[in-house]
Amino acid sequence: MRRRGVLSLVLSAVVTLGLLARGAADFAFPLQANSVRLAAIGDMGTGEQPQIDVAQQMVKSRVAFPFEFVITLGDNIYTGSQPSDFEKAFAVPYKLLLDAGVQFYATLGNHDTTNERFYKPFNMNGANYYTYKKGHVRFFALDSNYMDPKQTAWIETQLREAGNGDWKICYFHHPLYSSGRFHGPAIDLRKVLEPLFVKYGVDVVFSGHDHVFERIHPQKGIYYFIEGASGSLRAGNLAPSAITAKGFDTDRSFMMIEFAGDDMYFQTTSRTGVAVDSGVIHRTIRSASGGVAHE
Amino acid sequence: MRTKRWIRCRGVSGLVALFLCVVATRLLAGQGAAPSKERADDAAAFKEFSARVLAYVKVQQTVESSLPALKPTDLPEMITAHQQALARKIREARPRAKPGDIFTPAAREAFRHASRAALEGPRSANSRAYMKPGAADSTMRLVVNGIYPDTEPITALSPALLAAFPPLPVEVAYRVVGRTLIVIDVKSRLVVDVARLILPPAS
Repeated sequence: MRRRGVLSLVLSAVVTLGLLARGAADFAFPLQANSVRLAAIGDMGTGEQPQIDVAQQMVKSRVAFPFEFVITLGDNIYTGSQPSDFEKAFAVPYKLLLDAGVQFYATLGNHDTTNERFYKPFNMNGANYYTYKKGHVRFFALDSNYMDPKQTAWIETQLREAGNGDWKICYFHHPLYSSGRFHGPAIDLRKVLEPLFVKYGVDVVFSGHDHVFERIHPQKGIYYFIEGASGSLRAGNLAPSAITAKGFDTDRSFMMIEFAGDDMYFQTTSRTGVAVDSGVIHRTIRSASGGVAHE
Repeated sequence: MRTKRWIRCRGVSGLVALFLCVVATRLLAGQGAAPSKERADDAAAFKEFSARVLAYVKVQQTVESSLPALKPTDLPEMITAHQQALARKIREARPRAKPGDIFTPAAREAFRHASRAALEGPRSANSRAYMKPGAADSTMRLVVNGIYPDTEPITALSPALLAAFPPLPVEVAYRVVGRTLIVIDVKSRLVVDVARLILPPAS
């Protein structure tokens, strides 16, 4: 019975992923026509100088890698919900990006107020959780503060209806896997979400909450990234473990990502412009013949 | 004489044994009945709780309909203005709101049972861990019709806990501060009701 369950799990998997991690020196984004280009930031909304430094680095990086939008992994505004807080922690630091037409797609962290969903530049359209599509990539932005049965049913429906043709990317604040000492993994949340992610072929998951960068070895065929250091930082907080593929906890950082066909190129850059991680995740649409994610 | 005393003694012992038997039987029967009665009581309490929440939401919707609708906006001051106006008008609409209006004593008991089931025992460690980091300050002052402070983080709620509680309409949400459970009005951030000592103490 158990073997049949495992077999069925393998047979139902439709995607295999392979990662080629590369040194920073030989890494380059392909900048393909029709590719989907974005940046990812998390735990950034302090309004302090390190956040501004990261934002400026994003502007510089955008010259070579013109990303079109940014996903935020929560804790967008730490300081409160007054208009001055929106200004200080968001509108001012990212002014140059906003003026250049870069769109932000936010999720809520535990330091955010739910009314941020009405702030137009966050593109949440009044919803705590939502989905949208860019090219051949389907994004699912979740509210991990409040994973009630209603939201769980919603994400299952959305993942099922999304089919298997597009990349499936989920992002939310609390990481399902993490080697951060301060928070660590949200195992309770993992119990609810991971079975759905596996069942419906989610490819990559981005989270924040732990104020470090970490790339996790694939778990059940899914790649996990934590980018929770785009403003806040817990220096030295990462306790690299067996699941850690790469970590960075000595300075702030942000990620840049390009989906080109079945490849996802990524690079994590520090606030001083140093590439601290990069690689390519290859996704192959499979028939129901199984296969295992590998590095 | 001795025989008579022996018989009397045996008779008393028999009566005591019979009494103990009856008591034990009653107790055992009671043990079986108590959980089902508790479940029925909790279900009824949750039903009443949900009805009171709906009554609150009706008030909230009526009040909000008198304000300009809050739509996605580039101006955060519009969001703040709506939040503050809504809070003020809800307070005016329920000036005598007090703890227990929504969390009735029976509902509080039902939430205690549900919380205990979700958060106690060895498998609950993950739920506790999920809810602990970055949690709201447990010394925070919480009063009905007061505003949940926007500088405080919110405690992520365990999916297991949320699944054990009655679902809420989108206008309101559960929040946990220490062992206290509150219902909050999402848009105005007003504390709708507070129930203390609901979550089991961390072991």
